[in-house]
Amino acid sequence: MSATATAVRASVLDRVLRDYRSIAEDLPGDALAHAARARAAAQLSELGWPSVRDEQWRYANLRAFERLDAFRPPAAVGAALALALPAAELPAAVPGFERLIYLDGVRVDGAQPQLAGTAGNAGEPAAAWHWSAEQRLGLLCDMFAGDTARLHVHGQAAIEILFMTSERAAGAAVYPRLQLQLEPGSELKLIERHLGAAAAPALVACNVTIELARAAVLTHYRLQHYGRHTLFADNLWARLAEQARYTVRSVAVGAGTARTSARVQLAGRGAALAWQAIAVGRGEQVHDTALKVEHSAPDTSTEELFRGIADERARIAFSGHIHIEASAPGSQARQSLRGLIEGAQAEIDLRPRLEIQTDEVKAAHGATTGRLDEDLLFYMLARGLDRQTARALLKWAFLSDVLREIELPALRTEAERLAAGQLQDVQAVGALS
Amino acid sequence: MSEPSAPMLEIRDLHARVGGQPVLKGVSLSVRAGEVHAIMGPNGSGKSTLAYVLAGRPGYEVISGSASFEGRDLLALAPEERARAGLFLGFQYPVEIPGVNNAYLLKTALNAARREHGLAELDAFEFLALVRSKTQLMHIDESFLGRGVNEGFSGGEKKRNEILQMLVLEPKLALLDETDSGLDIDALKVVANGVNSLRCAERCIVLVTHYQRLLDHVVPDFVHVLARGRIVRSGDRTLALELERRGYDWLSEQAAA
Repeated sequence: MSATATAVRASVLDRVLRDYRSIAEDLPGDALAHAARARAAAQLSELGWPSVRDEQWRYANLRAFERLDAFRPPAAVGAALALALPAAELPAAVPGFERLIYLDGVRVDGAQPQLAGTAGNAGEPAAAWHWSAEQRLGLLCDMFAGDTARLHVHGQAAIEILFMTSERAAGAAVYPRLQLQLEPGSELKLIERHLGAAAAPALVACNVTIELARAAVLTHYRLQHYGRHTLFADNLWARLAEQARYTVRSVAVGAGTARTSARVQLAGRGAALAWQAIAVGRGEQVHDTALKVEHSAPDTSTEELFRGIADERARIAFSGHIHIEASAPGSQARQSLRGLIEGAQAEIDLRPRLEIQTDEVKAAHGATTGRLDEDLLFYMLARGLDRQTARALLKWAFLSDVLREIELPALRTEAERLAAGQLQDVQAVGALS
Repeated sequence: MSEPSAPMLEIRDLHARVGGQPVLKGVSLSVRAGEVHAIMGPNGSGKSTLAYVLAGRPGYEVISGSASFEGRDLLALAPEERARAGLFLGFQYPVEIPGVNNAYLLKTALNAARREHGLAELDAFEFLALVRSKTQLMHIDESFLGRGVNEGFSGGEKKRNEILQMLVLEPKLALLDETDSGLDIDALKVVANGVNSLRCAERCIVLVTHYQRLLDHVVPDFVHVLARGRIVRSGDRTLALELERRGYDWLSEQAAA
């Protein structure tokens, strides 16, 4: 029966390419942009659609992607629509941050202000990144994206980007794209937030590319709380020059299926990455992250912290691959991956992997998955806390390694609210911090 | 002549097992309000098991016998209900809970007990005022309150923190499991001071200990020796001194005979 079904229904790759060809000429951009889209389409058809047989895609919910019908973005929205955005639907502003809003993949916050510390939308940067097979879903966004949030930072800046989706995009696909370029010694605090209507859209395929020049510092907060009907394909590529520092603090609670494919290249001496992420899933949610870090210069460092909680029938996977090349003596890598299984049918798969090709490195990794620690629970019960409160506190404590790193109070409150929203007991207990 | 008061804690012929192995083999003990009892015994005699069984730790299975607290069937209560009824277990190895704030845990525990007894909950200021006076008594730096529960505490700090919790919760029955182990002499005195400050006619204290040195500072009314799962001898504090002189072997041999 399934063979027949396959024969009747075109493969997902065929559907992608068919949709692309049908609208390619109408997509915005000059001849160069069109050529870039065509290259992406050619590369995707050459690589083919990912398969669970491939180690890097084993835990991704590819079936959900295969059920997708439409890869076309919705018809372009005008700024007029944005003005109709009810302020109540927008998250509270974070003090000190300038805000950009993209609705269904297109910038809608009206004017094009000159943001402090940035050079605004300055032409196409050189396409330094290259989506590897592990990040091939990044090609989708390169084929279809109609707009790009492009930030060129010199000096200091604090910017919040809201990638919002609306019900207009139901049954369509949305392609947010963010390109960051930080000049030597510049510093950016960036909040990247993905949120949207409960019913829409079917697919959000997002690309983020980041280039940090010498001694540039980027602190990148990522909050993802799309509705449960959305599939989120998230692709991130970053390259760090010498002494550059990149910190990611990520809280993912939304989308029915979310896949993050990230690759960070520590290309200059002393470059440092800190990746601190939380994923909390419940219901049928599937969250899967594949992060690859490449140390190719001496004295580079990685610190990776992942905390995942899977409730009900949720599945959470995190694969952390750190490759320390022969050219990177003196490097350090620390990985701490922890999973907490709450639901009887929930699943967590953590795969730490350190690949080291030079001596003189300091590396440590740990990965543990389990249920709530009975000894800790008993300690709290023996103090008279009721079971629900004790469990809530322990779940909260489990996430606190990452949450307490969010040093902006307003953002931390928001991140905590999102995490608590996924944890029943925690909601019942109320404010915990 | 007035009738002696009913025991606050009454244990009768208690048998319990851990991991399928029988550990308690018929323990009986009566503790009245106002009394301090010491339970001593060699390693593996069942002292900690007795404490855990009374506190309701999962995996510590009662086979037969009974334990009542103020006339209530203690063994029928969940661990948290026992705590709110006024039983406090001071842990031999207090756990670290990073991410759960010491003060938050303690305030939540205190207010749970107050609700149980129909008292108004303390707000943050009232709680802080209460806990502050106790931290001074226990020589605990106030900054510890803001840290994770026992997070990064030394062994002695953890034990002092247990006693601090006890002082704030003011239990009716304090069950202290080897609270003296791992303490230097100064810390031992601080802990003993804390315990003594709770001694009163409405409360009873059961000290589980391997060594008699704590009993120099917290003088018990009764001393019991637990060996091979039974209380093999009871006496006053001179029994503890005799144990220090002669060791446990002679009693263990008697128990085996």
